[in-house]
Amino acid sequence: MIKSNTLKALLASAAVFAVSESALASEWGSFDGVTVEAKLIGGQQYEGLYGRIADWEAATGAKVEIISKKSHFEIDKEIKSDMAAGTTSWCVGSNHSSFAPQYEGLYVDLNGLVAAETIAEFVPGNIGASTVGGELLMLPRAQFDVSVLYYLKSNYEDADKSAAFKTEYGYDLAVPDTWDQVKDQAIFFSDPPNFYGTQYAGKDEAIVGRFYEMVVAEGGNYLDADKKPIFNSEAGQRALQWFVDLYEAKAVPAGTTSYVWDDLGQGFASGTIALNLDWPGWAGFFNDPESSKAAGNVGVVVQPMGSVTRTGWSGHHGFSVTNDCANKEAAVSLVKFLTSEESQLAESAGGSLPTRSAVWKANVAAAQAGDDPFRAESLAAFAKGAEFAFAVPAIPEWGETTNIVYPELQAAILGDKTVKEALDDAAEAVDELMRESGYY
Amino acid sequence: MTRRRLPEWFLLLLPAIIVIAAVVLIPLIFSLYSSFTPYKLTRPSTLWTWVGTYNYEKILTDAKFWTAFGRTVLFLTIALNLEMLLGLGIALMVNKVTWGQRTLRTVVMFPMMFSPILVGFQFKFIFNDNIGLVNNALQSMGFNVALPWLVDGKLAMFSILFAEVWMSTSVFAILILAGLFAIPRDPLEAAKVDGCTPFQSFRHITLPFLMPFIYIAMTIRSLDVARAYDIVQIMTGGGPARRTELLWTLMSRTGYVDARMGLANAMGYVSIILSVVFTIYFFRKLTAARAQIGMEG
Repeated sequence: MIKSNTLKALLASAAVFAVSESALASEWGSFDGVTVEAKLIGGQQYEGLYGRIADWEAATGAKVEIISKKSHFEIDKEIKSDMAAGTTSWCVGSNHSSFAPQYEGLYVDLNGLVAAETIAEFVPGNIGASTVGGELLMLPRAQFDVSVLYYLKSNYEDADKSAAFKTEYGYDLAVPDTWDQVKDQAIFFSDPPNFYGTQYAGKDEAIVGRFYEMVVAEGGNYLDADKKPIFNSEAGQRALQWFVDLYEAKAVPAGTTSYVWDDLGQGFASGTIALNLDWPGWAGFFNDPESSKAAGNVGVVVQPMGSVTRTGWSGHHGFSVTNDCANKEAAVSLVKFLTSEESQLAESAGGSLPTRSAVWKANVAAAQAGDDPFRAESLAAFAKGAEFAFAVPAIPEWGETTNIVYPELQAAILGDKTVKEALDDAAEAVDELMRESGYY
Repeated sequence: MTRRRLPEWFLLLLPAIIVIAAVVLIPLIFSLYSSFTPYKLTRPSTLWTWVGTYNYEKILTDAKFWTAFGRTVLFLTIALNLEMLLGLGIALMVNKVTWGQRTLRTVVMFPMMFSPILVGFQFKFIFNDNIGLVNNALQSMGFNVALPWLVDGKLAMFSILFAEVWMSTSVFAILILAGLFAIPRDPLEAAKVDGCTPFQSFRHITLPFLMPFIYIAMTIRSLDVARAYDIVQIMTGGGPARRTELLWTLMSRTGYVDARMGLANAMGYVSIILSVVFTIYFFRKLTAARAQIGMEG
């Protein structure tokens, strides 16, 4: 009898404890004993957020097992292999707006699982880019990417240079506001092989994205509403001609056609590039004397205009929940936690751009009130740049089209083909792909 | 009452047959089958759609594929011959060394111990047009140039070949060295007595004895040279503008990046022709070389 009383008392106290725990955990739910398997993108700039996972584990009683952590391209290959092999019972996956449409049927539609008011707290454009065929496939994390123009300030502080530029081009030398000015100045500043006016990504998806944003800036588009390629239009030809002209004038390094993001970032940081359209993640790196010879000499402005508009090819990272996940509720809770306001504030403190409206406001306000004018300048430029952001077409074939298009762009840049030939050949091949894929 | 029994030889071979079927035959049949489907990794259900020879027709009429095919043949021919000549030279020299030969043999083998990925990164840096070692050396010697090593079609192929030859010459060197050790001394001494010049001895005695080893090395390397995929992928990725596109970069991009495994497998089967032709050619040469030194049969 005594024994059973003791047992009852123990059970009662355990229940009281559990209730108070669940009150604490109510925001994220309680998932005692649940293990959530996750495949996450790895890399220095992404790790900070994963440190917060322990807080979620403490609040919910669940455990997160990171079963894979790789670069985005590697994790993309792994996920495709998982889909082919049917091994998709893990729960949470890192995702990206450019990759998401490829994973047909892998991830759940979060619309029914996340409250509408939570979704409304994100920047609408980011939610749009996370939605494929009406399904919200991921919640965006504070890793939003759009490019703005970084430049070396010293080039605009030299009276002789300004006078020489004015004589040659007939207008005042100032930080460029249009892509034509970028071209003039890049050619003017260049002194190969020691110093180059600008540079651009020259292969893979990177150059196609850059070309795409230029096409839009010139008033054209990549695909039409039926997903038919239209980038070989007049606007497309003007866009590609810009790349070709810079290459022919030796205003970009000869190896630019083999450069992607790391090469470009290191190039600008070496202080040998005057103007550089680049991503937000580099801002701190460029202005850090430890890593950059350009530190203290870096200015940041909104991306220049084409003949029609400013544009910014953009993308963002996010987290998705698989359809095969055994405990979707726990997985959704983890995704909500990793993309929450607190998480975004913490992650964007490292310099990345948020995807929640409130966090944008808080960051801009904090930068303006703070004592780091460079941070305030760059954040203001990115806030402005984000207004012109667009996401790539949400179709699984986007990546494949870039693999068709980029060698043709390179062929035009290197002079193997004319701009028109290259774009027509690329459009023909993309057209065939779209037909095969059943779009028309 | 007699029970039908499987023949003993078959029973004894059965484990081997099962293992080979599991690791070779089934994947081979599966990939052959998938080359007749529009199989996409991201849409597993496409594996069950039969499209007949569509993928093959697409490849046979695809100029990009055939350009890559031709370039691969050229790459193989130049790389294998260069590696053979350099390997022969190294082996002959190492063979002359009397002191520290073992250490030297180990040193010769260093390049083949590196992972091809590392070799790719190493030469990508060496040939970088802006910060690379070669251009910096040229500039410090007074040439104010920045040669686009990995951009210009010919220079890029040269750079890749250089990396490949650097990594794999030692395979030839070691195999040929083994051949040199196996040469009987009598004919060489007889030649000396008969007053042959060193070149004549090499041309008429050493070389014929070495030919079987050379052809075996050639056969192994022609099948194994696809390891250069890593080097090409890292140094140029087949670009720019497909100037260094080889079958391997094309197939891996089609299969893994574009996820079109059906098409990539079809490309694989067409390009097997290449391996088969090279192998048959080298085996014929091997038989002929063995016949010449009286080793046939």
